Amino acid sequence: MPVFKTAYNGYAVRFSPFVENRLAVATAQNFGIIGNGRQYVLELSPNGIVEVVAFDTADGLYDCTWSEDNENILVSASGDGSIKVWDIAAPPMANPIRSLEEHSHEVYSVDWNAVRKDCFLSGSWDDTIRLWTVDMPRSLRVFAEHSYCVYNATWNPRHADIFASASGDCTVRIWDIREPRSTLVIPGHEYEILSCDWNKYNETMLVTGSVDKSLKVWDVRNPRQEVTRLLGHTYAVRRAKFSPHRENLIGSCSYDMTVCVWDYRAPEDALLFRYDHHTEFAVGLDMSTLVDGLLASTAWDESVFVWPQGMDPRA
Amino acid sequence: MAMRDLVMGGGACVVPGGDGASSSSNPLGGLADSLLGGASKTQERIRELPGLAGPGQSADLGGRPLTYLPGSEFENEFDQRASAQNSQFLQRFGSKFSDAWGDAVNGHMMPPVAHHDREQEAAFRNFEALYPGMDSAGRPPLALDAPPQRVLSGFFQSFLDSSRMDGPFNAVRLPELGLSEADKRRIRDRSSIMGRHFFADKGDEYVNARVNALLQSLDIDNNLKFREPMGGRHPEMEGYWNEVIGARPGGRPLPDQWAEDFHQHHRIPEPGGWAQEFEAQHNGESWGDQFGEHQQQMAARGQFRNGEMNNMAALEQTRSLVNTLAQNQDPKFQNSKFLQFVSKMSRGELIVEDNQVKPGVTNDWANEFQQQHLPPGDQWASEFMGEHQHRGDRWGDEFARRHQEAPSTSDDWVNDFSRLHVQDWADEYAEQVAKNPYGDGSHESWLDSYDKFVGEQMTDLPNRTASSKFVYVFADQNPYVGHPNPLKEGQELFRRGLLSEAVLALEAELLKNPENSEGWRLLGITHAENDDDKQAIASMVRARDADPTNLEVLLALGVGHTNELEQAEALRYLGGWLQNHPQYSKFVQQDVNSLSHSQVTQMVNEAALVAPGDGDVHTVLGVLYNLSREYDRAIQSFQRALELKPRDYSLWNKLGATQANSARSADAIYAYQQALDLKPNYVRAWSNMGIGYANQGRYEESIRYYVRALGMNPKADNVWDYLKISLSSCAARWDMMEACERRELEPLQKEYPL
Repeated sequence: MPVFKTAYNGYAVRFSPFVENRLAVATAQNFGIIGNGRQYVLELSPNGIVEVVAFDTADGLYDCTWSEDNENILVSASGDGSIKVWDIAAPPMANPIRSLEEHSHEVYSVDWNAVRKDCFLSGSWDDTIRLWTVDMPRSLRVFAEHSYCVYNATWNPRHADIFASASGDCTVRIWDIREPRSTLVIPGHEYEILSCDWNKYNETMLVTGSVDKSLKVWDVRNPRQEVTRLLGHTYAVRRAKFSPHRENLIGSCSYDMTVCVWDYRAPEDALLFRYDHHTEFAVGLDMSTLVDGLLASTAWDESVFVWPQGMDPRA
Repeated sequence: MAMRDLVMGGGACVVPGGDGASSSSNPLGGLADSLLGGASKTQERIRELPGLAGPGQSADLGGRPLTYLPGSEFENEFDQRASAQNSQFLQRFGSKFSDAWGDAVNGHMMPPVAHHDREQEAAFRNFEALYPGMDSAGRPPLALDAPPQRVLSGFFQSFLDSSRMDGPFNAVRLPELGLSEADKRRIRDRSSIMGRHFFADKGDEYVNARVNALLQSLDIDNNLKFREPMGGRHPEMEGYWNEVIGARPGGRPLPDQWAEDFHQHHRIPEPGGWAQEFEAQHNGESWGDQFGEHQQQMAARGQFRNGEMNNMAALEQTRSLVNTLAQNQDPKFQNSKFLQFVSKMSRGELIVEDNQVKPGVTNDWANEFQQQHLPPGDQWASEFMGEHQHRGDRWGDEFARRHQEAPSTSDDWVNDFSRLHVQDWADEYAEQVAKNPYGDGSHESWLDSYDKFVGEQMTDLPNRTASSKFVYVFADQNPYVGHPNPLKEGQELFRRGLLSEAVLALEAELLKNPENSEGWRLLGITHAENDDDKQAIASMVRARDADPTNLEVLLALGVGHTNELEQAEALRYLGGWLQNHPQYSKFVQQDVNSLSHSQVTQMVNEAALVAPGDGDVHTVLGVLYNLSREYDRAIQSFQRALELKPRDYSLWNKLGATQANSARSADAIYAYQQALDLKPNYVRAWSNMGIGYANQGRYEESIRYYVRALGMNPKADNVWDYLKISLSSCAARWDMMEACERRELEPLQKEYPL
């Protein structure tokens, strides 16, 4: 299966929602501790993964997301608190076409609204989440209720106005942007929560990944108790994602350097696959919405892998 | 592809020019390539392409103008500052956001202008100026190549790469232009937050102590410390939570009330508040306080500064942290570059002090002190206090002794600094500033202070100039001076493997005949094999000056600069090797000084096709792949070269170093062994062997190899450093550490025979 070597340490990977063989990879130098960043756009070709374009930034990049509205627009979350907007059809000199600078600390997460398609969220270590549209130079709203770093903010795939946020204050908050405040708080884990994602078929289902090494699946209608807890990672779970194609499937990657795929409804052993292809902390994972079962991962070993579920990524 | 590398690769992102030829098969790549031509040409071409927006127009962003996003009205309540600006903003624009915002923002800056691509672009830049970034350091958002950061990245990177190809990394001390406050903040926040993600499950105290430790090992002001999360679930919150949930039909809590309380419960502790928090949780048992008190007492006795104390405790903490990570049996963890990075930090080899990243040489006393006086484990705090009651005085003496020694390091510092190619930076930087379309005054001030800094350094040291970055240092006393034929003697000594002797004989020759290219070359090779890179490069530079086309010299310089991670220099020499080669010069059509890595690699590959039986070509390829860190390919190239030249011990060593760099330490040891079988006195292979064992955590064995290497060349400073690391990593005896510190080889040789 194809592998691509990045110049810096990988942090996030996202399949394009428009072009099935295209993906974006956010990277940062020196494990993101200090140094530059580079946003890659890659394509799967018969000759392996090839670079389409790459943009350099002054600080490391921790996350990226594609516009759901324009196949050429891409947004990256930067360590210097800025959000860079790229137009891959514009010449390199014209990029970034926007630099949105309001967060006062590292931006760790960006997510585009797939229902409304005209806005996106950023989650930052300044404890806030901000709501943006690309045609406005300032954020439209600030969501400031978390008491520690926001590591992830994810739109609900069905409801245009609902999103969830995962934070180092050990809670997940559910927000409805029509409301003035968050509508639900789930003290989900005993330790920091690094990631959350919504089920693509059941709009009340949510998965969280935490420093406590576990994933938990929640039904927000009954937030007192998780639906299930998935154990198997040996270090903090960095990202958790529901499959866009299979209601029961969850993908996760961890500081234990592995990528796991789970069936959270399996009665016995929920862990379906464990991929051991990375040699440093695995921090970026995505599942293609256009190709069923296609996975992509990136890690601090400066590699990006794309492979069909069930195959050996290195094969 | 090469073109794209040149434009987008590396730190320099603003490099227009070139012919823009495209070899890419995919349309976007082709487009990107075609856009890489000169700026004016670019814009013309874009307009010819149907369906694509020009620059500045930047495509159709939102698709439609934004009419209404629910919830925007709530913004007033929560962020007054932002909303005030927002509403003004909105009033000024009316509803035509997508088209007009640039102009309108521009409106009060300059007269209205007609819609035109160029103006729009300009408008956008003004917009950026109007809404500057949040960066507290006031750094321009595109200061991609601001030298401090470049220097730093190289520094970190070189640690990570461990740069063991053909010789270990020599910790390089950075000039004072190092870290801005903002950079410090970055390192501090990020390493502490990430550290917490790895170790949170060890408990609050553990995490807090370690987070603190990390900060202190970076010598970062505690008052500036990034906030900690509240960590763990709080029982009172849980009670409240259950209450609220229970009281609500359908189990949904009242959001506002709950959130309010939640907030109050979990106000973030003040900086440094973890100690208090800890105290609160463990009534009376406030070691945090005691620690502080103790620290004050000690300080009052004038025995040390606070910083030292912090560093020492911090180092112990970071070391425990590394131990925890290292306990993971998984070989992947053992080989993790990140782990190596953190462990460098924990050994005090990497500290940030007074805006500099330094290898923690002057702080090693703290290291050793801990090794000796503190058993590993989690009880360090109590142990620490207990021990100190008794040993405070001795420790003080130790400290005083070290401090007297400290000034002597300043000379090394200058040496190292001079190796950093100061002038190259300055040139490169000036070039980038000139090209930077966003260039503004802030760069200038940096340059000024930089010049001043360099100036000060130079006036302090009259006999050093910027051009003398590689000055060969002759030995003070040389028994071979006056020898009838020192060159022949040197060659003979080299052949017999008596490297240190050979150095002296060759020096005698070169004092007599300073333009003897062959003499300098052999001297360079001798130094390289004797594990002294600095002198090796200095010799090779002289050899090149005497004979600029000598292939072996060019190759050796390419390797030397690869070891030092100086890609541009290395490429220049490897390109020069190709250019001066009688068979391969036809592949070089451009100026060798401006070739990119992929261009050189391509040319050498072409040469390899023409002459598959030439081992040197494969060797050069191997070095090139090391530069780009494509270790698999590098290994293949060296293996191919070895098939052709199986008795070239330096090739075996290169293969081993490459394997070690790609985490195949076991293979590496085999390769080093081959080198040593061929040349038993190959000091570098002995020390590399030690590194290979140390990489596998086999410290005891690594010590034996280091000691062996030092037996042959006691002047190999870097080997002493590596020995020290291995001794501290396997908790060696105090007297062995002391012997190492005093550079007494005999007791070490007795204790660690091979």
